[in-house]
Amino acid sequence: MTESPRPAASGRPAEVPLSPILGELVHRFNAGADDLDATTFNELALRIHDAQRRSNPVLRRYWEDAGAADPDHWEAIPPVPTAAFRDAPIVTDKAEAVFRTSGTTSAGARRGEHHVASLALYRAAARGPYRRALLSGLTEVRVVALLPHPRAAPDSSLSAMAGFVADEPEVVGATWAFDPDRGVEVEAVRRAATSAREPVLLLATAFALVQLLEALEARAIPLPPNSRVMETGGFKGRTAEVDRATLYGLAARRLGVPESHVVNEYGMTELLSQAYDGAAGCAAADGTASPLSRRVHRFPPWVRTRALAPATLAPLPHGEPGLLAHFDLANAASVCHVLTEDVGETMPDGGFRLRGRARGAETRGCSLTAESFLRAVGARS
Amino acid sequence: MTPGNAPPLDGWHWPSGVPAPESLDQTRAGGLHVRYPRPDAALAPPLTSVLREAQRRLARRLVSEIAGVLDKAARRFMAELDDGVPRGAAYREAAANASLSAPMVREVVKEMAGSWTGSSMGRLVDADFRDARALDGFVNGAGRQLRASGHGLVVHVGAGSVPGLTIGSICRALLVKSAVLAKPGAGDVALTVRFARVLAETDPEAGAALAVQYWPGGRAAHDVWERAVLRRADQVVVHGSDAAIEAVRARAPAATGLVEHRHRMGVAVVDPAAAPDSARHAARAVALFDQRGCTSPHLFLLLADRTRSTAWCRELADHLAALDASLPPGAPEPAAQSAVQQLRGRLAMRKAASAEIGLWAAPDLGWIVVMAEMDEFEPIGNRTAWVVSAPDRAGCARALAGLSPVLQSVGLAGVPPDTEFAEVLFDSGVSRIVPLDRMPFPDVDWVHDGSRPLRDLVRWCELR
Repeated sequence: MTESPRPAASGRPAEVPLSPILGELVHRFNAGADDLDATTFNELALRIHDAQRRSNPVLRRYWEDAGAADPDHWEAIPPVPTAAFRDAPIVTDKAEAVFRTSGTTSAGARRGEHHVASLALYRAAARGPYRRALLSGLTEVRVVALLPHPRAAPDSSLSAMAGFVADEPEVVGATWAFDPDRGVEVEAVRRAATSAREPVLLLATAFALVQLLEALEARAIPLPPNSRVMETGGFKGRTAEVDRATLYGLAARRLGVPESHVVNEYGMTELLSQAYDGAAGCAAADGTASPLSRRVHRFPPWVRTRALAPATLAPLPHGEPGLLAHFDLANAASVCHVLTEDVGETMPDGGFRLRGRARGAETRGCSLTAESFLRAVGARS
Repeated sequence: MTPGNAPPLDGWHWPSGVPAPESLDQTRAGGLHVRYPRPDAALAPPLTSVLREAQRRLARRLVSEIAGVLDKAARRFMAELDDGVPRGAAYREAAANASLSAPMVREVVKEMAGSWTGSSMGRLVDADFRDARALDGFVNGAGRQLRASGHGLVVHVGAGSVPGLTIGSICRALLVKSAVLAKPGAGDVALTVRFARVLAETDPEAGAALAVQYWPGGRAAHDVWERAVLRRADQVVVHGSDAAIEAVRARAPAATGLVEHRHRMGVAVVDPAAAPDSARHAARAVALFDQRGCTSPHLFLLLADRTRSTAWCRELADHLAALDASLPPGAPEPAAQSAVQQLRGRLAMRKAASAEIGLWAAPDLGWIVVMAEMDEFEPIGNRTAWVVSAPDRAGCARALAGLSPVLQSVGLAGVPPDTEFAEVLFDSGVSRIVPLDRMPFPDVDWVHDGSRPLRDLVRWCELR
């Protein structure tokens, strides 16, 4: 049994030893971090953990209360659940940006916040993976984003990343075709696509992509050859869910983009790194595109993923589904070890296969659920 | 018992005279697989016409006679649960279905069965009707004669996984001489089907007025079937989430009466200095049904300072820990476990950030006690007790005011049940004020969500 209360945290940390580490990480990420073997990863993880512990009294107490004051391996550092990002800023340095979760999963619930100390680190973490997943083999590309422009949505980590993509040298132009009030601007997509002579890279949430594809039922927009689609995120209760195979089938029929050129990005506000389930347009090692059902997500080398038993958070062997926990070194200025509500299984090569979200089970009787409660009594922030 | 090694549970009981289902579907319900007749709109006419015919026969019987039949069936049902071979198997099956522990199901069903007896049914009729004979024929009222009867065919739509809930609902409808088509909640299939079978064996005529059929709700593929069933109902009683209720509203004809019971929650007001046993009673109320009942308390408003409240939280935590042995928690779905992990981590972080948060938690996912300010509160379930220190009754009233849309029961411990405070609670939307130790199991004649259990189920006729 754990017990409290304890004195409150007071004041800013006297010492912020993270800056040199952040610089080192940017350098490593830009270089691809291929030298991050298990030992190096662990050393780096423990250094960052030590810095976070010294800089952030709240995190230090969190770990001390969990009985892990001085771990000798990154796996022994208790993860922080994504829900904890809803309550208090988790940051060890001054934030350059604050990204917020979409807030659509639980009506009325507080939105999660990720206070990001270094946008340069975010760009460095995102860049290599998205270049491999989305831009391989392209010399010119036009970006069409079914997302708000980063200036219109400064708290969206996804818009920020799409902004990084739009800045790439291969990109000849970018169209931002999403209005927060009206949704996908279909005609803007049509204009951009029909005027494009180069391949189009469509960046979209799954929700927005469904909106676009449904709007194209009467009149498709065939995109130029070698165009790609990156879709991300779930539907979060905003519309009837469409399974991924159906979604990709619709993309093939209404945009002319084959399944092999559609990539899923797995990312979340609480993590600065992203995982992709393939590289658009690139065949698998055996010369065929990986079937959708066998696709595996992979993070860059600076992220380690484990599946944990839902009841005990004990690590599970490869192939056994559990709650996914990610240790992302790019989160050096907030918290690296994050427990998600996503269910998946890990692979021996470091990849993981997503099974869905651990949500929505009807285990309640006639008692109120938290979501119904928040909806009924309204948000209280 | 797991879906992997247990045979599927039959999720239906149809009265004799209804053709056997031609095809079955199967789904998971708690820790069991349940098979059920494939929802097919063509099944609705034969099923409902058999029920209507049986209702006409039931309507000719006296209400006291029906109460006797229900009493007999309930006793036989309980005997089957207690003494069936192999011993305890029926409870284990119901527990697996509800994702509760078998000792919990035994405790819950024994308590609930108290309201299915003949004497309880008689008490309920007497509480709701000035002259219960109105259910059997016209009786003299003030300058008129009055007659009351249940609607011909009532469709009961249950929700969730509190075992035995649907049986109570069925008994009330049969008592006022309605035929019933009951769709139990996913976790209440085993007991409901068993009760229907026992009733048919006990009294075939009364049993013929009851059909049980489970199917998973919220599936577009079942829309035509659901509309066909609801179109044939004279009244629909629905327990469930706002979404479930809205789905029924959207499918039922405008002329069909709806009795709606939304998900709600309970709160307790405790003066620990005046109620030395309050932490023990609180722990039991939190543990029962694994806090899934609408009567389950989630929030405890303590008329005590912080030091006394902290001590009370420790007591509550000790009692919750002790109940792990006598009322062990069930095996929640991974989604529920994930939700608890998220909550625990989140609260641990809040505790690390603030001296205002107190947190006591089981080493596993068994239970949590949180001491916090009122604006932190949200009902999570799975034996999570939120404790908020309130300076006085007025502070309690302020705390409850924001919860009025979802309030149902308030349990009192060490707080006199005077009408002045009751008025305050009533104004907050509370419909039931009882001693804390009686909070989990309502009396048979309770004011359910602000309405009378039988009166909502009948139509009246006056003769002047």
